[in-house]
Amino acid sequence: MKSCLNFKKVVLGGVVMMLVMQAGFVWAAEAMSSFDEANQSYRDGNYEEAARLYTRTLEENPDSGNLYYNLGNAYFRLNKLGLAILNYEKALHRSPRDADIRYNLNYARGLLEYKVEDKRNWYMKAVEAFLQYFRWEEVILGTLISYLLVVGSWVFVLFFANGLPWGWGRKALIVLFLISLIFLGAKNIERNMMRDAIVLEKNVSVHYGPSSADQVAFQMGEGLKVYVMDRREKWSRILLASGESGWVPSSQISEVVG
Amino acid sequence: MKILLFSTVMFLSVALGLEAGEVVVTASADRNSAKVSDEIHLTIRIEGAQGSLQAPRLPGFDGFDTFYTGRSSQISFVNGRSSSSVEFSYVLVPQKPGRFTLKGIEVQVEGRAYTTGPINLEIVEDANQVSRTQTQTASYTSASTGSSQQTIQEPEPVFAPGDENIFVKATVDKTTIFPNEQVLLTYSLYTRYDTRYEGFEEEPGVSGFWIEEFPPEREVKRETVRVGGMRYVKAEIKKLALFPTTAADYTISPGKIKVSIRQEPRATSIFDEFFNDSFFTGGGFFARRENRLLEPPPIALKVVPFPSRGKPEDFKGTVGNFRMSASIDKATVKQDEPVTMTLVIEGEGNIETLHKPDIPELDEFKVYDADTASNLYKSGDVIAGKKTFEVVFIPVKAGNIRIPKLSFSYFNPRLETYQTLYTPEFVLNVTPSETKFKLPVALSEKDEFKKQIKVEGRDIHYIRERMPPRDINVFYRGAIQGILFANILLTLLLGVGLFRDHQERLYARDNALRRRRRAKAFAESRMRRLKSLMHSKDPEKSNRYFDEIGKILTQYLADKFGLSVHGMTEYDLERTLTDTFGSEDPLSKEILELHQICEESRFAKAQVSESLKQRAMKILRETIQRVEKTRR
Repeated sequence: MKSCLNFKKVVLGGVVMMLVMQAGFVWAAEAMSSFDEANQSYRDGNYEEAARLYTRTLEENPDSGNLYYNLGNAYFRLNKLGLAILNYEKALHRSPRDADIRYNLNYARGLLEYKVEDKRNWYMKAVEAFLQYFRWEEVILGTLISYLLVVGSWVFVLFFANGLPWGWGRKALIVLFLISLIFLGAKNIERNMMRDAIVLEKNVSVHYGPSSADQVAFQMGEGLKVYVMDRREKWSRILLASGESGWVPSSQISEVVG
Repeated sequence: MKILLFSTVMFLSVALGLEAGEVVVTASADRNSAKVSDEIHLTIRIEGAQGSLQAPRLPGFDGFDTFYTGRSSQISFVNGRSSSSVEFSYVLVPQKPGRFTLKGIEVQVEGRAYTTGPINLEIVEDANQVSRTQTQTASYTSASTGSSQQTIQEPEPVFAPGDENIFVKATVDKTTIFPNEQVLLTYSLYTRYDTRYEGFEEEPGVSGFWIEEFPPEREVKRETVRVGGMRYVKAEIKKLALFPTTAADYTISPGKIKVSIRQEPRATSIFDEFFNDSFFTGGGFFARRENRLLEPPPIALKVVPFPSRGKPEDFKGTVGNFRMSASIDKATVKQDEPVTMTLVIEGEGNIETLHKPDIPELDEFKVYDADTASNLYKSGDVIAGKKTFEVVFIPVKAGNIRIPKLSFSYFNPRLETYQTLYTPEFVLNVTPSETKFKLPVALSEKDEFKKQIKVEGRDIHYIRERMPPRDINVFYRGAIQGILFANILLTLLLGVGLFRDHQERLYARDNALRRRRRAKAFAESRMRRLKSLMHSKDPEKSNRYFDEIGKILTQYLADKFGLSVHGMTEYDLERTLTDTFGSEDPLSKEILELHQICEESRFAKAQVSESLKQRAMKILRETIQRVEKTRR
């Protein structure tokens, strides 16, 4: 009786798994065809259609750096620099070491009307440049692996050798773990606190306060990168790399992550 | 046969070794003896070097003025052998007689220093200057050989701007010029004294200019002039050709000139004396001489930009007046065989800034720059020169192929217009060939034969045509979860391990503690093994049961109270229990009772009831519980 029940469970489980896999294949096939369609539209010069199809494919595949890159290219061809740069930035978050993405992003930035002088300290720039070469998942993984090495070596020595482990090798592992923790903290700050965003409107007035009645501090152009420091109702407080800050309507910028 | 083979190998090794780029640096003079103020041409030749070379700086040669006159380079390849060389030319003008050894000149090539061999020169006196030489040897208290090595303590030169009897004027022939146009800076000395020119105390400040110095005349031109009612002897002591590099307003500080004069000017006969003597001598042995510093006033120079109107596309800043000619070494050639075009541009102007005319991209040819030679000379007061370019054209197709006209544009400052010169168009008759010409490896590796990559334009990179598999994100998530789980497990294990290690350390220091802590677990594990004995009806097993109970009790109490197990008597047990619980404690009595039961039952021959066994076990358990509470 028991064996009969067990057999039924196995068969049922197998059927369910096959159905799920089938659905997965169908989904994947659909995503592929959408992507190919979009690429064909791009090749035909129909960039509006290509952008629409890339956006649709992204809804089901939000983690693809390639999709954001292609979407950025489509917007670039449509001369929508702000959207192009936004999508290149999103692509870069997912594939931070992709040379094509970096190249296109820098090229698009070079065409911007406005230029923001980066007045941050050199070490801030260096840290940001370094952090940008790694995905969030990679940083977490690195931290977990270094913790695994530290604890694993300790457990190994405790159970298979006598005494507490405190040789130079394990000290080095601890240092590595601490460095990875610092790295993780910095990446977290970069990702969650210094939320970067791209200006999407051609001309944006930045105000001293979260209201259009407040005095205008300065003007910005499409495609510029800003850091969102605060949000209030429909306004966002932004900071430029040059140190200038102010308030803009949230609808005129778009965050890269999120 | 072997000797022939060996010789061939050696020859090839040497040849290949040379081809592989052995650098050879030599220096030579066109003659080893000359008269004072003659020109000696010094050449430094560098063979086998790769990359660009700077003109070597000559060390100061005492007794000589030195001038750099140009460079030429040559690269040739014949029958697969190649050679390259660069020559730098200088002019040495001896200022005094004697035997001189020019020490080796250090030349930097590709980061290494090479030193040329010494050059011996013999300079004899000029017949016209015998009196001066005699005067000089009389003036210096030195050995009779007239050695110029004696150090004379000269009085500090006097700067006397208010003395109207002697002054220097520095003049330019033009005050408004174009970039790269020659302006002649002339130093004229006006004097009423018996004067000797000693050279520059401070060189002129001419930064922003490319400079060419004119060698001093053998006979200094001089004339008598009237300035402000007074008669002076005027002599041109120095000339410089300056070429400004950019359009700007310049102020040239002419520097300071050192002269030595006889103390008092003579009213009438001075001029006769100057007519008879060289300007560079003066006074007899007993004349008192004073050194003077003369500083001409600064000169303003305006360099205006080139006119934008009519500027040809290929104009690169060359200024002057030039002519150009071109020729090719053959008009009929096989496919893939080289044809050399020789381009010569000659004329007045800064020849060093001349560039080869641009050659457009030609589908029918591969084009290589082979040779460049420049030769600078002075034509009166104008710097002139000739630059020769050799360009190799290798036709890649057969048929009648044209080398198009090449243009060279320059700005003529006299006419203030741009001029463009053209080479003729050459038509080559190229016959087909099966053998493909290949540049020798040594040359094909040289940078000068390589074309630069020119970016024609910029655009974004193309789209991705394949979606990456989703596995990468799944991988990240899976890996993070897996490693996180492993880390949690390991952390727990670490906790357990640390706790265990801590306990072991405690136990190592206090064995009694170990016994006390482990007594209960040890007793219980032994008690679990008694279950099978408890239910047995076999008298022997019953005996063993009680025997074990007794041992468990004894062991447990010994561990708990730090007593020795061996030889523990009832008396020892009673005393310990009395000390711990008191003599009236019921548990003490029960433990003693159990001990008695175990002792008796151990040797009983008849079957023991199960209830007794259970009672024994119950007492044992209660004992353990009670003792655990009181004694940790």
